[in-house]
Amino acid sequence: MKNANSDIRRALYEAPGPRARRRIVIATVLSLAAIAVLAALILRRFYVTGQLDRRYWSLFTSASTWRFLGEGLWGTLKAAAAAGAVAYLFGLALMLLRLSGTRALRWIGAALTELSRGIPTLLFIYFFFLVAPKFGLKLPTFWKIALPVAISASGTVAEVLRSGVNAVPKGQTEAAVSLGMRHSAVFFKIVFPQGFRFVLPALISELVIVLKDTTFAYVVSYADLMQNARVLISNYDALLSVYLVVALIYILINYLLNRLSVFAANRRKRGEAFNE
Amino acid sequence: MSENRSALAPLIELRHVDKHYGSLRVLKDITLSVHKGEVVAIIGPSGSGKSTLCRTINRLETIDSGEIVIDGEVLPQEGKKLAELRAQVGMVFQSFNLFAHKTILDNVIVGPREVLHTPKKAAEEEAMRLLKRVGVEEQARKVPAQLSGGQQQRVAIARSLAMHPKAILFDEPTSALDPEMIGEVLDVITELAKDGMTMVIVTHEMNFARRVADRIIFMEDGAILEENTPEAFFTEPKTQRARDFLNTLKDRDK
Repeated sequence: MKNANSDIRRALYEAPGPRARRRIVIATVLSLAAIAVLAALILRRFYVTGQLDRRYWSLFTSASTWRFLGEGLWGTLKAAAAAGAVAYLFGLALMLLRLSGTRALRWIGAALTELSRGIPTLLFIYFFFLVAPKFGLKLPTFWKIALPVAISASGTVAEVLRSGVNAVPKGQTEAAVSLGMRHSAVFFKIVFPQGFRFVLPALISELVIVLKDTTFAYVVSYADLMQNARVLISNYDALLSVYLVVALIYILINYLLNRLSVFAANRRKRGEAFNE
Repeated sequence: MSENRSALAPLIELRHVDKHYGSLRVLKDITLSVHKGEVVAIIGPSGSGKSTLCRTINRLETIDSGEIVIDGEVLPQEGKKLAELRAQVGMVFQSFNLFAHKTILDNVIVGPREVLHTPKKAAEEEAMRLLKRVGVEEQARKVPAQLSGGQQQRVAIARSLAMHPKAILFDEPTSALDPEMIGEVLDVITELAKDGMTMVIVTHEMNFARRVADRIIFMEDGAILEENTPEAFFTEPKTQRARDFLNTLKDRDK
């Protein structure tokens, strides 16, 4: 099965010989054993401290628990989708500023990009939660989490888009201007569509970061998966079990996003393979 | 009236063109005219400045001094005027530079659609006619990466023809091709020459240059050393440098 990972492996290492293969088998067995022992130790600690008791886990047999977590998950997905969409829009705008022909605009684009990338998401959230209302800017709860998360991601989106645009061969621009196309047409019809395709996998991966940043929703009391988990914990006094289940849900969603990104990367590679 | 003007004045004219890369002078006082319907081949060793010269004609390379005139108009420095002039001069590149994300058909219609504002249907019909003319109409729905180099270069020529250019510049059109594909591209260019297209061709294909060109320009170290008819240039070149260059090629072919 040809995919991005095996390509990198092939580029970095030569194919192992018989002795190397034996060493790999031994190392694999040893590390699996070590992981098994570690897992057993952790489970034992849970057992000893009573974390595996029925009372911590029985809440997961009732439908209302799952419904409540489901509502939280829906809140997380909505906030992440909105934040992701706004981050892409802002990112595009920042990149356009940064690539502008006017020096002042380029400078503003670069400065805003650095601000977005340099300031922690939580600070942006505090700004819209605590500072902005004092100046009359009162956002709905949903946007109090979605907007700061979007702003925080937009700088990275801008830089990812810019790297894609810069990766488009110069010949594409030369061919387009030779036809008499103007700068904006060359950029939007020829260069940007190709650059966007180059970085689509990275843009999808950025959604993972956006989704994880939405866990700050508890700050503004927005009902996301994490916030609802906290409610469950305080109702059932079941810290470990709830966090474990919620972590698994986050892992699953982010795993799906990463698979989507790999899928996009492989699709692009297949398109390019014709070139050889 | 403009017919009259172009019959007298050269279609492309370079007057005392100079260009530097830092302290390196890559074009030295180049003066050259190309008349309507003329085919001019520029030959010379690698690094002689022939590609750079070709690329200055539609300002893909800027010049430091001198003047470039196309059909009576001084080549503008920027903006709408420059775009309009570029639209009138086709360019075919060594590495084809087809738009990688567009189908073959879309590659040919994008110029007419964006620049000449030709209606879609008319642009497509003409594109198919041109693709047929260069023998790749079967590939119209594919993307460039699915075509051979020879096919891609023929599409690039069709893309350029779709703009109804007054002249076409060829920057080493066969240098990136596998040997078995060179012929198919040269055949297309030869056909264009027969139809009276004005062309400036930078090439390493000596037999082709001799067969197709009306005039040979020999360049070395950024200067034009010799301008001659093909027959005279290849049988009895005027300069020692040109003789040496042709002899190296002969030795290599032995």
